Amino acid sequence: MLAYVNAVISGILIGLAYAIAALGLNLIWGVMKVINLSHGAFIAFGMFAAYMSVKLLGVSVYTSLIPIFVAGLIVGIVAFFVSLYRVLNAPELTTLLSTYSLSLILIGLGTFFFTTNPRAIDTHLGSITLGYSSISYSRIIVGLISLFLAGTLYLFLFKTSLGKAIRAVSQNPTAAKLYGINTTLVLSISFGIGVAFASVSGALIASLFPFTILSGGVYELKSFVICVLGGLGSPAGAILGGLILGLLENLLSLKMPVDYMPFIEFSILVIILLIKPNGILGRR
Amino acid sequence: MSCVLEIKNLNAGYGEIQILWDVSIKTCSGLCAIIGSNGAGKTTLLRAITGIIPTMSGSIIFDGKDITKLPAHIRAQMGVIMVPEGRLLFGEMSVLENLQMGAYLKRAKDKYKQNLDFVFSLFPKLSERINQKAQSLSGGEQQMVAIARGLMADPKILIFDEPSLGLSPKLTIEVFSIIKNLKEKGIAMLLVEQNVHLSLSIADNAYVLSEGKLVLSGSGGDLLENPQVKEAFLGL
Ligand SMILES: Nc1ncnc2c1ncn2[C@@H]1O[C@H](COP(=O)(O)OP(=O)(O)OP(=O)(O)O)[C@@H](O)[C@H]1O
Ligand SMILES: [Mg+2]
Repeated sequence: MLAYVNAVISGILIGLAYAIAALGLNLIWGVMKVINLSHGAFIAFGMFAAYMSVKLLGVSVYTSLIPIFVAGLIVGIVAFFVSLYRVLNAPELTTLLSTYSLSLILIGLGTFFFTTNPRAIDTHLGSITLGYSSISYSRIIVGLISLFLAGTLYLFLFKTSLGKAIRAVSQNPTAAKLYGINTTLVLSISFGIGVAFASVSGALIASLFPFTILSGGVYELKSFVICVLGGLGSPAGAILGGLILGLLENLLSLKMPVDYMPFIEFSILVIILLIKPNGILGRR
Repeated sequence: MSCVLEIKNLNAGYGEIQILWDVSIKTCSGLCAIIGSNGAGKTTLLRAITGIIPTMSGSIIFDGKDITKLPAHIRAQMGVIMVPEGRLLFGEMSVLENLQMGAYLKRAKDKYKQNLDFVFSLFPKLSERINQKAQSLSGGEQQMVAIARGLMADPKILIFDEPSLGLSPKLTIEVFSIIKNLKEKGIAMLLVEQNVHLSLSIADNAYVLSEGKLVLSGSGGDLLENPQVKEAFLGL
């Protein structure tokens, strides 16, 4: 019983961190109808950026989130102009190929510099005991930061002028142009925000679990499952999907080896696509 | 007299396919109507004017400035505003948010309050539905939002592409009386309409487009009396 309580709490907290990566993927899809196959590479970028900050600069992993967000934003905007801008109106396969090649380049460079050896970040924070179950502080912090980021993204999209412009472009790019919105700029910023979210979620995950330069792919798959589960294009769906996946993962790991998770995730992906392709909260 | 919009020998189309051939148009003030049968290239012409599609050759002069090569959002900033065919509302946004997006530009933001009062006086119904999602409105209501959004942008020239499409005869008359009202306020307008009789009767000058070429031009009244126009569009 206690193991279950613990798994539920842990699942919710880690699910929120997964949701951050998924929100980034979802935003990019929603605004420019591009499936970003380089998302995992940017998650890995965030992991190693956090690792280097802790190892070389000696800052706390949580402090490193701010520069990592900014770096992700800038790298994302540059990546947009390098690999996406010219092929946005091409058939979908082209944007898939172009983000996939970007991913290969980034992972290749990462492997060259960091090898594929596993790393880990120790936060030295201990854990809190609730009754008989114990939850590590680092997990709680990750959950809270993720919640904060999701809330901030919501406020940004719905309350600020730039956020409204992003939503306008996602709903009707031609009308957005006609009413004075620089759509190219908005698309590049949206891609930047998506990448920043991927990077920060990578850094958050790196503060909890060991990782290698190839780990991004694992979490990219989770992001896809979450988006499909919650509904592509629905931010609330991404949060819900993240929570479901986090819970499932933690509850199932009580009964079976963790190695089975990718298999289960793929199965969920296929089943949802078959029975409810728009996801739980997706637009029609 | 200085002209708001002057189009000289415009050639434009989609990719390799040329649709418009050597089109020249002038609107100096008041209302200019463009008529033509389905597929004549009216929407294409308006897309070229607003910068949604690029021009192949020729020039577009707005307010004395050459805007031929400027991107669409810059043209909007200068005051070239279109109420597009098919409305193109921001479907998931509320009516009020759609109007706010209309006033996204700095110039329009400064006059937001005043323009909002104005559009609500034109469309009192909209003020009761400000929080409803645009996509859940009826077709007629959506058209009102589209026109209102155009006015919120504080246009120097307001371009209408088939504003009465899909509207009931009663609403069509209402839309036309609003256009007339705007004309009296001195807003320059370019109007593309299926309803040839109504649009020619309120137009100061008009052009007839056929297969991407200009075939006739004159004052609204002249074209209304023109035998070719009568035969082709008015079924007389
Ligand atoms: N996006 C596009 N790509 C290629 N061809 C197009 C495109 N849009 C329109 N056309 C073609 O351009 C020609 C002119 O179309 P346009 O929409 O300008 O006509 P229109 O005069 O506005 O007609 P309607 O009265 O039906 O609205 C048509 O032959 C049409 O098939
Ligand atoms: Mg048309």
